[in-house]
Amino acid sequence: MNKNITAIFLTLSLLIALFFSSCKHKEEGYHSLTDKIQARSKHYKGTSISLEKHIEGLNLIEVTENEITFSIPTRKDQIKSFKCTECHIKPLKEMQNADIKKAHWNIKLKHANLEVMNCVTCHNGNNIDKLKSLTGHTIDFDKSYKLCSQCHHKQSKDWIGGAHGKRIGTWVPPRVSKTCVNCHNPHSPSFDTKWPARFNTQKVKERK
Amino acid sequence: MSRIDKYFKLNMNSATKQKTSGGCGCGSTSGTCKPQNQETAVKTTSCSCGSDSKSCRSHQEKSPISDEEFFKGAIDAAIGDERKKDGFDQVFDVKMDRRNAFKKLTASLLIGAGAVSSCTSIVSSNESKEKSQIDWEEQFKGNYKLMGDNEKKATVDRLVRSYQLRTGKNISMSSKNAEDDVLFGYAFNISKCQGYMDCVSACVEENNQDRNSQMQYIRIHEMKDGKGFNFNEADDNYYYEVPAEGHFYMGTQCFHCDNPPCVEVCPVQATWREDDGLVVVDYDWCVGCRYCMAACPYDGRRFNWSKPEVPEEEVNKTQHYLGNRMRKKGVVEKCTFCVQRSRAGENPACVEACPTGARVFGNLLDPDSTIRWVLENKKVFRLKEDLGTEPKFWYFID
Repeated sequence: MNKNITAIFLTLSLLIALFFSSCKHKEEGYHSLTDKIQARSKHYKGTSISLEKHIEGLNLIEVTENEITFSIPTRKDQIKSFKCTECHIKPLKEMQNADIKKAHWNIKLKHANLEVMNCVTCHNGNNIDKLKSLTGHTIDFDKSYKLCSQCHHKQSKDWIGGAHGKRIGTWVPPRVSKTCVNCHNPHSPSFDTKWPARFNTQKVKERK
Repeated sequence: MSRIDKYFKLNMNSATKQKTSGGCGCGSTSGTCKPQNQETAVKTTSCSCGSDSKSCRSHQEKSPISDEEFFKGAIDAAIGDERKKDGFDQVFDVKMDRRNAFKKLTASLLIGAGAVSSCTSIVSSNESKEKSQIDWEEQFKGNYKLMGDNEKKATVDRLVRSYQLRTGKNISMSSKNAEDDVLFGYAFNISKCQGYMDCVSACVEENNQDRNSQMQYIRIHEMKDGKGFNFNEADDNYYYEVPAEGHFYMGTQCFHCDNPPCVEVCPVQATWREDDGLVVVDYDWCVGCRYCMAACPYDGRRFNWSKPEVPEEEVNKTQHYLGNRMRKKGVVEKCTFCVQRSRAGENPACVEACPTGARVFGNLLDPDSTIRWVLENKKVFRLKEDLGTEPKFWYFID
């Protein structure tokens, strides 16, 4: 009888010991990486690292979308022939009729098909220095991402969060991201196929 | 715990003789060395430790230690010295027997002989003396992991000077430690990668990888649509216009596991996880056994079968001790998330180079970082998650 009790007691204490020891299989006492990230970011105080050199010479504007604030490069100072009104002195309709040289011959619209969009879907013929939304609201060239997000709302959401597009230079805050037109040509937004940057001839030899 | 002074120090250009005490490489502490024998040995042949024979003879003046002291010392040497030591201490501040002492001495004989011959020689220039001094100190430096900040700085300074002496070129090398409140993480967008391999090129240039063997840390695998992650049928060395019809691309590299199996198996602790999550290698401590390569489930590590060579004009001179400094033959290396860049606040070279924005890098501990947004809002997964290696490298799709 006594022996039985001792045996039961021993097994019980062993189980309890196992229970406690099995919970701490890592030296830091976290079950998983996610737990560790959760726990350690609770008291996040920021880092002392800062970097400025990557945004030197860049004009930035701050945007806030979906309660996320970050900066993007301005666009107007990057467009060679801005302001447009330097040539577009009259409304577009009148200029098309007038006997003047054809312009913008290098721009071919390779975006959606013509049933969906043409030049004036985005450009405002009456106020050529600005863009316009589908409902006719004025959009500044610097905030052209608003134009894109009308159709590409999924990409827009990802871009605002940081899953689409690129940050400029650094991972440390404050965040500076490229805007849509820094990577995509708005008139022909898809990427071309190209040759890979390198070919490993050594690997070919090794695999023979 | 009794602390023994360094019994041996080579200080080649200094005029002052060092005072020494305690044990000697000849094995006096083990008590097997008889004073009379030793005296003759010292008289007839000069001490094997090098030119400064004083340092070796010193123990003669002391009487042999008692058994009690010997046992105390033996225990100290075996388990008592758990405290962190660095530099010379790691190598010399241990009690040892004759066999061990000779082992260590032979291992360093070549370098020592070179150092001694050039330091005593009148003909050899100051530069070659300095070079030997550096070689000597580098030979006996400790494990980087255990070094204090001053020691880290000293070894980095030596390496920079040594490079300058050998090539006449200046490099900058950092020994920046992990920052508080930083845990690096990486996310890779499979839908965005087009297989351009710009990341691979940027990585090779940034990290001074061997051009002869065309080593590359990153592999971009071309996989067939609808077949899933089938690495057996994947090709990581394609050469035609990409993206190819009916294929998708995904990249692998070192995932900087939070529970890294490679670290576990290293017999000399030449690889470890830093506080900011980077798994790094001390190339000077690595013995080249390649256990880590066998343990890595992701093929993340590379071995230098030959001496890595990079044309002088292509060497990236912004270096970090744990990162892209020049490696030697017979050591393992791998992606370090470009420690020389990331700890300075920059993005790794692959992230910077990617034209499609498929690569997201950042601080996992910053709740407002982009990487955290990806992890919390996209459908993410990691490779071989069931192994429990906890890689800090997530894949996601649009």
